Amino acid sequence: MRDEVVQPGRIDRPGSTTRPHRRRIDVLPYVLVAPVAIFIIGLAIVPALFTIIESFFKVDELDPPTRFTGLGNFVALFHNHAVMNSAANTAFYVIVGVVLSTVLGIAIAVLLQHPFRGRGVIIAILILPWALPGVVEGILWSGIFDPNAGLINSLISTLHLGAGDGVLLGQNQLLTVGLIELVQVWQMTPLPTLLIFAALQLIPEELYEAAVVDGANQWRRFTSITLPLARPGIAVAMVQALIATLNIFDQPYVLNGAASTGASVTMETYFVSFQNLNFGQGYALSLLVALVTVALSLLVIRFIYRKVEL
Amino acid sequence: MRTRRHPLRAVALVLVVLWSIVPIYWAAKSSLQTESAARSRPTQYVPLHPTLDNFRALLAGHSDVAAGIRRSLLNIVVECAAATVVTVALAALAAYAFARFRFRGRTVLFFTVLATMAFPPYTTLIPLYRIMSAFNLVNTYTGIVLVYVSGFLPLAVWVLHNYFASIPTSIEEAGLIDGAGRLQVFWHLVLPLATPGVISIALITFLFGWAQFLFPLVLSTDLSTQPLTVLIAALQGRHIVPSTLMSAAGMLAIAVPAVIALAFNRYIVNGLLAGSTK
Repeated sequence: MRDEVVQPGRIDRPGSTTRPHRRRIDVLPYVLVAPVAIFIIGLAIVPALFTIIESFFKVDELDPPTRFTGLGNFVALFHNHAVMNSAANTAFYVIVGVVLSTVLGIAIAVLLQHPFRGRGVIIAILILPWALPGVVEGILWSGIFDPNAGLINSLISTLHLGAGDGVLLGQNQLLTVGLIELVQVWQMTPLPTLLIFAALQLIPEELYEAAVVDGANQWRRFTSITLPLARPGIAVAMVQALIATLNIFDQPYVLNGAASTGASVTMETYFVSFQNLNFGQGYALSLLVALVTVALSLLVIRFIYRKVEL
Repeated sequence: MRTRRHPLRAVALVLVVLWSIVPIYWAAKSSLQTESAARSRPTQYVPLHPTLDNFRALLAGHSDVAAGIRRSLLNIVVECAAATVVTVALAALAAYAFARFRFRGRTVLFFTVLATMAFPPYTTLIPLYRIMSAFNLVNTYTGIVLVYVSGFLPLAVWVLHNYFASIPTSIEEAGLIDGAGRLQVFWHLVLPLATPGVISIALITFLFGWAQFLFPLVLSTDLSTQPLTVLIAALQGRHIVPSTLMSAAGMLAIAVPAVIALAFNRYIVNGLLAGSTK
């Protein structure tokens, strides 16, 4: 399709009698892409290669010089209790986050599927959490979870369900991780919702009408039409959620500090590199996170994504 | 199709809206209260004696916290605006080349740029810090803006490429036949037609910049360049600032992105969908 596009760069100027030299290289496209190429190579590709290569080196500001250690950094990480604990937390963040944001995304998208008055306003309100910085969302939600002035404890007190002074964050690991992930789900769900909503907009109404004629009830129409045809949108949404949850940093950092009850792998990367100044192990940990992210993304695409022909 | 609306539909829609705005409402309420009113029981679900004292303290006060908030607000505006302008300008030029020119290395370069979108965001955190440190760019606007631009370019190139590719080439041919240069055609004919795409990606880039935390946390260690997000997290961590004042600081930090999201949501939704599907 794109190959048929006429290329303005090669259109002969009217009045020019001689054709441009056939082998002359047109420099204009190179000039246009050069700045982007420099940025991407210099500040994305080269740093990524750095991460890969230096993860096999001992790069320790407190113990120079830099020297090759093979898999030493990786072995050290697996013996580091804080790192292993953060890996467990992160696994929980990922499971809760991907499942919740996907289910909520599908539910809200279906709710908005057919046009109704006020839908535009609801979509505008819906994307609000996505637009806000994760750090500030941590501040907003600390107001919800606060032991004294927080909304949850206030409601518990108002409804006479208890004293309303319970500590919600930092006591119990599962509760802490669950509540922090709820904040991230709050922030990231708008994107999956929009992606799935967009996929649903492409489903022709006739399919549903035919299904109604055939006597399919609402649930049947959802499982046989909506869900299969939304799979491309769902797959993209799940990959986005996967990347966001595997790299969670802002919310646990602001809501729970460095405490082990909520620390994520990305937080440990930060502590190992910028507090312990052990860059080699930091490299190794970021490389592991990257590899897991890519592997899980490919799995999602393999099992969830289906090309839809309409 | 006339579907019967399920009676629980309206309830579900109300819940969706409440879910989206209650945390914001609660912080807004707290920002308008004194610390003792916020903590009083029975709880005031609406502020009974609303006051702007918290905002006055931050915007006109003489405390270190207030001065820091004002400085970091300036920093975040400068950094986001600069990163947005540079990103959109460079991405537009490259996206046009990718959409309209055939040149050696085009495919490889295009997919290399897009592939970096798949990098988990923090893979390059440590090397970027060490590069910026080697060039003495830690604690400078330049350092932060360079890192932001490198991160935001791929999506911008992708979205703008799709916009340019959707514009019929006949318009450009007409321009060229009329004797306009190729860059004139781009500037006067193509770019105006792609304006919605340019606005979308500019807004999204600005919002991404405003949301940054870990990169500026590492790349700016003092108030000369710290954006509001980093300062707010630091204040929260030290537990020295009353929660109502923190809420007011939070409101200052979300005011700009919230207004952008509400006022331009059509552009943002279109831009996000153009960037994530296809």
